[in-house]
Parts: sequence; structure tokens; C-alpha cells
Amino acid sequence: MSDSSSSRPLVTFDGVSKRYGDVTAVHTMNLEIYEGEFLAIMGPSGCGKTTSLRMLAGLEEPSDGEIRLDGQRINEISSVERDTPMVWQSLALFPFLNVQKNVEFGLKMRQVPAEERQARARKWLERMEILELAERDISQLSGGQKQRVALARSLVTEPRILLLDEPLSALDANLVIRMQGVLSRLQKELGITFVYVTHSQSEAFAMSDRVVIMSQGRIEQLGSPKEIYRSPASRFVADFVGANNILSGSVSQAGDSLEIETALGMFQCDAGSKDAHHVGDSLDMVISADLVQISLDDPGTQNSLQCRFISEEFVGSIVTLFAELQDGSDFKIQTRQRDLAKMSLEEGDSFFVFWNATDAHLISARRPSDA
Amino acid sequence: MSKGASKNLLLRGYVVLVFIFVFTPIVTSFIFSVNSDRFPTIPLGHFTTHWYETIFADPDVWDAFRVSGIVSITVATLSTFIGFCTAYTDYRYKFTGKALYLSLALLPPTIPLVIMGLAMLALLARINMSGEIYSIVVSHVVLCSPFAMAVIRMRLAQINPDLESAAWNLGASNWRAMREVIVPFCRPAIASAFCLTAAVSFDEFAVAWFVSGLNKTVPVIILEILQGNTDPQINAIGSIVFITSMTLVILAQLILMRKTINQTATGI
Amino acid sequence: MPIVIWQLIFFVFPLIFLVVLSFWLVKNYRMVPGFDTINWVKMFSKGYFWDAYWRTLGYAGVATLVTSILAFPCAFALAFKVSPKVRRWALFFLIVPFFTSYLVRTYSWQIFLNDNGIFNTLFAFVGLGPFQLLNNFFGTLVGYLTLCLPLVVVLQLISLANVDRTLIEAAHNLGCGRLRTVFQVIIPLAKIGIILGAVFTFILTFGDFVSPYYLGGSKPPTLSILIIDTTKSGQQWPRAAVVAIVMIVTLLTIMFASVAAAYRKRS
Repeated sequence: MSDSSSSRPLVTFDGVSKRYGDVTAVHTMNLEIYEGEFLAIMGPSGCGKTTSLRMLAGLEEPSDGEIRLDGQRINEISSVERDTPMVWQSLALFPFLNVQKNVEFGLKMRQVPAEERQARARKWLERMEILELAERDISQLSGGQKQRVALARSLVTEPRILLLDEPLSALDANLVIRMQGVLSRLQKELGITFVYVTHSQSEAFAMSDRVVIMSQGRIEQLGSPKEIYRSPASRFVADFVGANNILSGSVSQAGDSLEIETALGMFQCDAGSKDAHHVGDSLDMVISADLVQISLDDPGTQNSLQCRFISEEFVGSIVTLFAELQDGSDFKIQTRQRDLAKMSLEEGDSFFVFWNATDAHLISARRPSDA
Repeated sequence: MSKGASKNLLLRGYVVLVFIFVFTPIVTSFIFSVNSDRFPTIPLGHFTTHWYETIFADPDVWDAFRVSGIVSITVATLSTFIGFCTAYTDYRYKFTGKALYLSLALLPPTIPLVIMGLAMLALLARINMSGEIYSIVVSHVVLCSPFAMAVIRMRLAQINPDLESAAWNLGASNWRAMREVIVPFCRPAIASAFCLTAAVSFDEFAVAWFVSGLNKTVPVIILEILQGNTDPQINAIGSIVFITSMTLVILAQLILMRKTINQTATGI
Repeated sequence: MPIVIWQLIFFVFPLIFLVVLSFWLVKNYRMVPGFDTINWVKMFSKGYFWDAYWRTLGYAGVATLVTSILAFPCAFALAFKVSPKVRRWALFFLIVPFFTSYLVRTYSWQIFLNDNGIFNTLFAFVGLGPFQLLNNFFGTLVGYLTLCLPLVVVLQLISLANVDRTLIEAAHNLGCGRLRTVFQVIIPLAKIGIILGAVFTFILTFGDFVSPYYLGGSKPPTLSILIIDTTKSGQQWPRAAVVAIVMIVTLLTIMFASVAAAYRKRS
């Protein structure tokens, strides 16, 4: 994943919102997308990610605000005239054209002469490793092959930005992994901007330079995958991304380290920046499941809890353990299979979880509606 | 975006124009059937029911309506029955020569009526079967069953394929299952097909003209009057014919629409 | 399977009989069974037969073209520019006239197209005309449209309404202008409905006798009028049978060719 190369944004969403009658799909959105970056927009269904993408493509018109491409306002420019090719979830390949003619379509619209069209189309088919399918009918292609045709069709006009609307959601799991690699490599080789909408965390994190998390029409957080994973900015992001445990409490003592008082006891936590938190502040303490350690005996540290083993989920080398805390709430632990094998846990067994003070992440306890 | 909006307006206006074109002849028929002038010109004369009175006094007209009525109902019954059997066979069975079977069933509407009329007349005359009411019935059934078949087949395409299997599984015989499961499900389509075939038969004139001999249906009477000269009686008869067939067709569609909405609501 | 029996007896058999009939002779207004190709020879040698044949073919061709073109904007508007509710009711009301008396509707047009008819009276008000609208091909065409227009709109509408909207968006997205998209994308996608409408129009107009007879002046005659004339006045049923068979063969050929073209896969 490359760093964003340019400092001036290629695309700017300036106060953009979209309403359908009484329903607001996107609230005032401010976002800058840089040239050459792979940006993922991620969120649950109905969060506004696809609407935002469609506004960028010109398929929807913003109710308020301005979208700028290269500094120029494009709200009034129709989708026909924008150079923002999109790869659709359903791929939208034309069934009445063969593979090569599908790829040539965008060039034909730009009045590129036939010979040049064919040469460029074939070059791209070769690049996507499907040259031998050039004369084939769309209906005869497999899912992965159709994907490649859709990509070739969008990229043949050599645009500066490519939009992708959940293009991998219809593929088999193993194909998804392979296509992620293809997309990643393609983006790096071409150096153009990819804006990728998905609801899948693994897709977003595997390929992108930056991720935008959206919920209910608003941006919850914007940052690199690592930032979002380790430092969720809100309760929503903490719940949505990764496997996190959240303990709510308030600050009882402030200083270089904080004492947080919760219903399950007192915990210690690094303060982060000085004077960021004061006594009495409500906080959520986020402990990522993969930073939690377990032991059968009481470890004796302050940051520990006793819990009861419920079940385990075995996904290969990583195991997720589900436990119940003394107040009935859930707790998740992720550990490696070989570490777990050293202890044998039965349902109902009691054990301890503990973590370092530096591993807990703090979020001000804000309700999403306060945004 | 006023350019787009004016384009939309143009298109919608065009649609209205098409509808005006399609319904004008019907409307004028109604208007002139109560117009006093003998020749239909504008400005209009005064309102009169004279023409209706004339045709109702004419015994030939009553005869024709009687014949048409008998023919339509008989044809509707038979075509719907045959249409149902064909549709069900197509739905349920796969067999060699199915394509041929289907083309046979669906071909009649593509043969010009004039030719059908001629062929029917030639054959039936030869075996002394022409000129009777049943000759008309027979020819019309051939013409109308494809329509019945199409309507019922579309309805069958909506049925949950497991319903019939469920009936068999619970002990119903083939015949019983069809009667208890398929037929009730298709009832709106059957009723609709009945109305539709009745309408088609009622309006069909070409074949009837060839084949009917002395037992004339209403359209045949119309044809004969037309061959004379312009006669406002046509408008009166025509209006009645319009009302009859339009009612039948509207009924056919409404039955289908209402039942479908009800049944999807109950989750069938 | 009662339908097979019924159809065989009452549909196939009469048509086969027609073929047989075409080889019979007429003596003293009675038909004599036999096998004589004289009817065929005579018919094919007659100038008026071939005139009628090409004329009917031409009429049907023009009718098909005109109807398809006139129907398209209407079907397009109903498929893309109105709400689903309006669309359903439009469909409803388009189906109705198709099943009502074609005969009476054609007659009603006479009122309009007459030399003293409504149209000419209106034209007179603005100082135009009078135009010959009846007893020529224009009249016939109006009749054909009355017969076929609703059907073609319905068939085109069904295909157009089923077009995948994302494909249209994809075309726009790749730079295809709105009008261009209609021709390059939408029409190819709705090919089946459009061709089906054209085929039905051709079949119906090729065999129709009402419009050319009552609105077209019946002279020069189409093949269908020829059949009626030959039968009703001349009692020359075998000759009529020849005409009928030529018509059937022509129609079947065109039908199969069109259906094959409609469903042909791109290589």
C-alpha cells in the first residue's frame, strides 16, 4: 500500500448531503480524496456509502453542498460527461456485445477510430489475462472472468479515478482473495485513485491506504486501516471493526495514568495526551480481543477480570473464545490455537483475562446522535 | 434541467396522442349512435335514441345477438377447457415432440382469418357441416384456445411447484391433486380466460362470415350492413358490441389483477 | 390430451384440405375432385395475382415499419417516464381495444377520413385541402394502425420495462449520451419485444381484408380481397385455395426467419 503521493486532493466532498423526501441518506459530508490513493468506504447496509459513490459518479445529484474534481465544481456535470468509470456490483456487462466490444465501448463513445480501439482493448484484455476470451459471449464467462472484463472496460479509457461498488460481493470466497490481489497490484501499477465501497472489513483493510467508516449517513472515522483497527474513534467503529471488548466507566483519578471506575471494578489506563481527560469524564475503555491474555489462576494485576467460559470458535490458527463476565456481559478473547492447547477449558470453567494498561484504548462516551 | 423536463412532457403528450388515436373510433361510434343525422358529419344533430330503437325492432338483429351469445358462451367454455388442458400439460410434462405440440397449439392466431374462413368453409361444406351454429363454434374454438392457454399458462408459472408434490405426498391421486390444488389456484385465470375468449369469439367476423351461412352472428350482420351503404344503425349496433366486448375484457383483467394481489398478500 | 385431437381435426385438417382443394376443378359451379395443376398454372400466370402479391407484401412491410416506429416513443415513455401505477393502467387500457370489434372501429374512421369527413371539415376551416384520405393507401394504413398499434405498444413495452436499469447507468457512466444510449443499448436489449411486435404486425396486416376493403377502396386488391372476390362471386374455391396457400407459405417463412433472427446468439 503506497502513501498518498499528492497533497492537493483530487476529489473534494464539501458539505455534501443527500435527501430522498423525508429520509436523509447522507448528512453533511466533508471528505478529501487524494490522487493515487486506494480509499475504501465501509459501513453496514444503508449507511450512505453507495449513495456517496453514486453522487461522485453523477448518478445522483447532491441535495446540498459541492463536489469538486481537480478543484472544479462538478455538481451540474452529467454522468455522461464525467470521467468517473464505475465497476458495478452486478458488473453491468452488455449482454448483446462480446467481450472485446464491451471493453471497446468507452473508447467508441469517445470517437476513437476503430483500429486504435481494437488495439487498446486487446492490450487491456491481455493485461487482465483474458485475451483468449475476446470473441466470447458474456453469458459464457465465469464470475472471475466477468470481473476482469468489467475492470478492463472501465480502465481502457485510462481515467484518473476508478469507482468500485462492492464488485467482489458475488464471488466465491477463494476468488475474492485472488481478486483482491489483482486489484491491489493494478492500483499500484497504474497509480490512479481507486474509491472502493464495501461492507466487508477484510476487503477494505486488505487493499486500501485509507478507510472511511460510515454509519447512518455520517462519517464515523477516517484513517489508515491500522489506525482504525487500533484506535477506533467512536463506539460504533469499535463495535463494527475488529473484535473489541468495551467497558464503560468514568475517570476517578487523572494524571500520567488514569484510574477508570466501572461496574466491574477499577482499571488503570494510559492517559494518552496530557490533560485530555478529567475526573468525572465518562469514557469507554476498548480492549481488543487479540490483546487479551488468559490464565487459569488469578494473575493478580489490576487490569484483570474473572469470567466464565461459554464457547470457542475455531477459525484455523486463531481461536475466538466467548466468555461471560460477572455482571453477565460478554467478553471476547482471540488467541492462537497452539497457546490455547496448553490449557483445557470446559464449558462453565472459570478463568481470568488480563491486559496491559497500554493496550486499552479510550473513547469519550458519546452517543452517535451527538455528532 | 429544463431540457429534460420538456422532453418528458413531449413524450407524455405523445402517449396521450396514441391513446386518443386508439379510442377515437370507439368514442365516435357512441356519439354518432345517438346523433340524429343520417350521415355522420359535424356539426352534430340532436340527441336521439332512434337508431337504437330501429335495431331493437329488427328481428334479424335479435337473431344475430342470440346466435352470437350462444356461440360465445359455448366457445368460451370449450376453449377455456382446452386451453387449461394444454397449459397444464405444458406445465407438468416433458415429452418428445413437445415443441411440435406447442406450435400446434399456438399457431392459429398467425394464420390470416380469411384463410381460416375459407378452409373451414371448404371442409365443412364438403361434409355438409357448414351453415350451422356448431360450425361457427368449432372454428372459433380453434382460434380462441391459444388465448386461453396463454392466460392460464402464465398463472401456472406463478404457482409454487411444491404444492402439487405436497398434495401427492399427502395421498392425493393425480386427478384429485389437480382438482383440489391446481384448479382453485388457477380460478382467476380460468375466469379471465373465459371472458377473454368470449370477447374474441363475439367480435370475430371473418371466419363467422364464411362459415355461418344463414345463422349469422352480430359481426356478420354488421358486415352485411356495411356492404350496403353507410347506415347509422351500424353505430348503434357497434356501440352495443363495444360495450359487450369491452366489459368482458375489462372483467377478464380485473379478475386477474384482484386475485393476484389478494393471493400474494396471503403469501401464496 | 384433447387439444391435439381437436387441433388436428379442426385446424390442421382444413388447411391440408385447402392444399388438396387447390388441385380440384370447377365445372358448372360445382367442384370436381381431381388432380390438376391448372389452378396453380393459371394463377401464377395472371398479372393481377403477382400485382396483388407484391402489393400486399409492400403494404404489410410499410405497415410494419410505420407501426413499429410510431409505437416506440409511446412504449418508451410508458416504460421509463411514468410511474409503475400509470404503466399498469396504460397496459390495461391498451389491451381493451385490441379485443373489441375491429370492424366497427374501422367503419368509424370513415367518418373522419371521408371527403366531407371530420378531418377535411377541419382542414377547410384553416383553408387547406380537401385531402383524399379515404380509398387510398393512407386510409388502409390508418386501418392497419387501428388494428396493430395497441398490440405493438404492449409488446414493446413489456420488453422495455424489463431492461436492466443498471446497464443504462453503465452506458451513461462510460460516456454514452442519453439519445445514443437509446439506440446503442436500450433497443438491442429490447430486441425481442420489438421484433415480436413487427412480426405480429406483418402477419395481421398481410392477411387483413377489412382495412384495404373499407378504407382503402378495395382496388387495387390485396391478396385477402382476392380470396374473397374469388370465393364469393366466382365460386372459384380452388383458385382461392392457391392464393391462400401462397400466403401461408410466405407468412411461415417470414415468421421463422424473424424468430431465428430475434433469438440468434452473437458469435
